[in-house]
Amino acid sequence: MKRRSAAATLALLVLMSSPAFAWVPFREDVEPPVPAREPDPAPFVAPPPGIYYVTDTYVADVVTSSGPLTTYSTTTVHESTGSYARVLDTVGTGASSAFDGSAFNGRRTLGDGRSVAGTYYENYALTDGGFVPISVVFFQDDAELARLLAVATRPPAVTASPPPTPSQAARSAAPACCSASRPVSMPASTPPPARPIRPGVSLLPVSAPLSSVEVLRGRTVTLWPRAFVDDREVPVLTWALVAGDAGEARAVSGPGGAAFRTSWPRLAPPGAAYDLVFRIEIDLPDTGRRTADARISVIVRSPALEN
Amino acid sequence: MSWTRDDRGTALVLTLVLAPLLLVALAGVLQLGALRVAGARIRAAADLATLVAVNDQDDAELARSGALRLAADAADVAREYFARELDLSAPLLDGTADDIAAAADVAAYPTAPAYDPRTGARYDRPTVRIAADVPVRSPIFGALLLRPVTVLHVIAVSSPR
Repeated sequence: MKRRSAAATLALLVLMSSPAFAWVPFREDVEPPVPAREPDPAPFVAPPPGIYYVTDTYVADVVTSSGPLTTYSTTTVHESTGSYARVLDTVGTGASSAFDGSAFNGRRTLGDGRSVAGTYYENYALTDGGFVPISVVFFQDDAELARLLAVATRPPAVTASPPPTPSQAARSAAPACCSASRPVSMPASTPPPARPIRPGVSLLPVSAPLSSVEVLRGRTVTLWPRAFVDDREVPVLTWALVAGDAGEARAVSGPGGAAFRTSWPRLAPPGAAYDLVFRIEIDLPDTGRRTADARISVIVRSPALEN
Repeated sequence: MSWTRDDRGTALVLTLVLAPLLLVALAGVLQLGALRVAGARIRAAADLATLVAVNDQDDAELARSGALRLAADAADVAREYFARELDLSAPLLDGTADDIAAAADVAAYPTAPAYDPRTGARYDRPTVRIAADVPVRSPIFGALLLRPVTVLHVIAVSSPR
């Protein structure tokens, strides 16, 4: 009896059951469509400010003399190497910069010892990780009137009128020879310092002096110690290698007409270079016998297979 | 039914059945070994050609800027030396060394950084790259109804470091 009652109760409950009238309060709300998001084709890499694609590549510093005017400029070649660059600093004549010494091509000085004007650029390579700085280069853009130095130091002639100061003389002479298109460095009113010797080392007797050079391992290279006074080359009396790895040099000193010939059979440690210092001696009638040290950094490389 | 338990002569039958299979396997192994030797020689030829080409530097540019830069004819030098080195392995090749070298993809990247469109690699130094498909004779494979000529793909990249 109990079983029948239980079965009947269960059947009754099943027959009379109905769905619960529960409802979802937000069922009527339509979900806003989610815009399809395209995956980024490449991760966005924030470039350094002011960066641009390089279309003109640095070649060399050029110093040209035309009469009394000496111009410091930079030659470029219209060529894209796939690198980028941005301006770091623009400096005037004699002004110092936080980037002095960081440029691989250095920064020249005028005849009075002041640094030339120009612009520092930093080169970048675009990699998967972003823009990677490669090097700093200095584009020189300056000029000076070399003969004004002599004018400024010459004793004033005895005339009835008061002699002009050197700065006045320089200022009055500037428009006569030069247009205002390029800033011309004027000699200071103070007595100029002794004419400095600007030593250098080049690969050819007449090529531009270099601050660093890459050579292949074992290949004979010829280095010419040279000297310049007032940006004019002067004959070297003697030279001697006073510091640095000479490699397999035949001689570490010699007269000015001979070059330093050597080869390096070994590579420098990774990231290092052979820094050579040549002591150059010149002897001029107006300067006497003087010496100066010329430095050049030699990076020895060897052809190697890549993986 | 004693003959069913008689195993005399089974060694002969087994040898006759297995000997051809063993010979085929042995021939295949020999041919594979020969191909590996040929591949090594061809890779060495490509490596040497790129090294020689990298050693050919632009002296005028070096004197002017102090930086190593490949000579203008670096790619031609690489191709020429690749042909010369391949010629030493001429009996292995299915074609003349000059034709194979002429068909090779030789690229010179005189300035750096540069990107190789073929491999996607980035070169931080002046670089010479050779990519070539070299047909090598494989006569044993041909006798086994396989390809009588096997093409070996080689790539060699060199730069001054």
